[in-house]
Amino acid sequence: MADDRHLMGLFAEESAAVAAVGAIGESPFRVTKVFSPIPSHRLANALKVKKSWVGLFTLAGGIIGFFSGFLLAIFTASRWGLIVSGKPVVALVPFLIVGFEFTILFAVFGNIIGFLFMTDLPRFDWRRHYDERLSGEHYGVLVVCPAEREDELAALLTKEGAEVRRMEEDGPPGGAADRSEPGPS
Amino acid sequence: MTEDQRIDPAGQIRRGNTAAIVFGVLAVVGVAAFAVTLFGTHPEHAWQAYLINFLLWTGLASGGVVFSAIMQVVGARWSGRMAGIAEAFSAFFPVSFLLFLLLFLGQTHVFPWLHEDLHGKEVWLNVPFLFARDAAGLLILYGTGFCYLYNSLQLRFGSTKGAGRLREGLQQRWARRGIELDAVKRRAGFWALLYCLSFALVISLIAYDLVMAADPHWISTLFGAYSFVKAIYLGLGGLIITASVLYLRNGKDTGLTLDHFHDVGKLFFAFCLVWGDFFYAQLVVIWYGNISEETAYVIERTMLAPWHTAAWAVLLVCFVGPFLILINKKIKTVPMAMIVLCSVVVAGMYLEHMLLLGPAISHGVDTIPIGVSDLLIFLGFFGLMAYAVLTFMQQFPEVARLEKREAS
Repeated sequence: MADDRHLMGLFAEESAAVAAVGAIGESPFRVTKVFSPIPSHRLANALKVKKSWVGLFTLAGGIIGFFSGFLLAIFTASRWGLIVSGKPVVALVPFLIVGFEFTILFAVFGNIIGFLFMTDLPRFDWRRHYDERLSGEHYGVLVVCPAEREDELAALLTKEGAEVRRMEEDGPPGGAADRSEPGPS
Repeated sequence: MTEDQRIDPAGQIRRGNTAAIVFGVLAVVGVAAFAVTLFGTHPEHAWQAYLINFLLWTGLASGGVVFSAIMQVVGARWSGRMAGIAEAFSAFFPVSFLLFLLLFLGQTHVFPWLHEDLHGKEVWLNVPFLFARDAAGLLILYGTGFCYLYNSLQLRFGSTKGAGRLREGLQQRWARRGIELDAVKRRAGFWALLYCLSFALVISLIAYDLVMAADPHWISTLFGAYSFVKAIYLGLGGLIITASVLYLRNGKDTGLTLDHFHDVGKLFFAFCLVWGDFFYAQLVVIWYGNISEETAYVIERTMLAPWHTAAWAVLLVCFVGPFLILINKKIKTVPMAMIVLCSVVVAGMYLEHMLLLGPAISHGVDTIPIGVSDLLIFLGFFGLMAYAVLTFMQQFPEVARLEKREAS
């Protein structure tokens, strides 16, 4: 919404970021995104992330691939219609190999498509609500709040040990409105 | 469950004795069913059931112990106390060896090639040589297994006192020899490796001699590998059943967590795939080769009545069903569900042995020869296996339940 503000809490420690996510969860504010330089189960647990649907994309890809492999093998064999060593043209026993290979291939496709779809990738505005240090060693907790409660949220993040950064909402990243407030020393 | 209930030794002993009586009764019932069938009109039926059960339970026991040996060789820690539970299957080794020797009495029924012209294969397929090499093989397998177990048990229980003559004898010996823990660890690794090697070789040999040779003109070079992969699959199934029963009974006192079940469930899933792969790898080569002496074996078992129904049942029960079910993560962490699934796989493997041996031993049957006597003999063998495992756990109760100081 137009009168919403985004604040980024930057943390040097995983445990501080985890504690901040917990504290925000108990407050009226909402975490919109968390950045981590490493895969963190602790952060995932703190966010109470629901089970990913990517697995279902993988499964669907695998099932489609299994039948596609068979169909491709049947289609190509029936185009030529060559009988070799008295074997049937459409022979399911050896076609299982093609079916298996396609299962793996399409499962991988399904997995990648599912991953891109569920994470809204590719994103071309990735620098919006972002800080370069998040590609390094910092953890980031992006929180949204109504404009009139911005200071209250900033105080909460500061209390949790964050360096608070007020994010530019409309203008280009790094503009005048992007400003940092150091956390407690 | 209250603290008092958890550490009630008298209650444990009572329950253990009741279970021992039940398993003992099952074993006696199995022996009686075998005897009745043996002295009936179809003694070959009794020996067929005997051979199938011998192969099934021997595979399960040796495959279970190989899990522990592999964990030792690779230094895996994820399995936790699962490896200790797997070692309980070693108690079936002496029983399995005796059961093998008893097969000698049924040689005219379990070796159909005795009545056939072997065209030069007599050099390999003759009863004295077969029994000598297979008995030697089993002695090596079980010998290396016990040597591994001797060291592995010292690693696990060398520093704890326990009751039981075997336990006390072992502890006195460990104390007398005073070998350092690092040396024991190295020795356990060495014997575990030898056990894994002898497992692959001996289970292959047994499969060639007792299963493949039942149809002496059929050859599959992959049959040995197929058989020991099947034994590992069975062993993992047996391990999951045992661990699940212990977990349902003792809860977290077993030292097991649901993560252990998830991990070993994934391994079970993997071996379901490996078993299916080895089955298919044999089938596709025979299909492409299209040599009549190879295809006849497959056609009789997969395309002709009555065996083709068993072939489809085995495929569904041992591969398709477990594959589809085990894709799910949660099911692997539900012990009761895994007991059912693994029991179905073990039953499917019984049928698979029946499929491999049945057409050779029971010629010209109209229906698959499975009756009440087969079920009772199966239960008898199950009773023997369960009794052996229970005996092991009575000697080493920490396998089934943590000591109080471990739990705290």
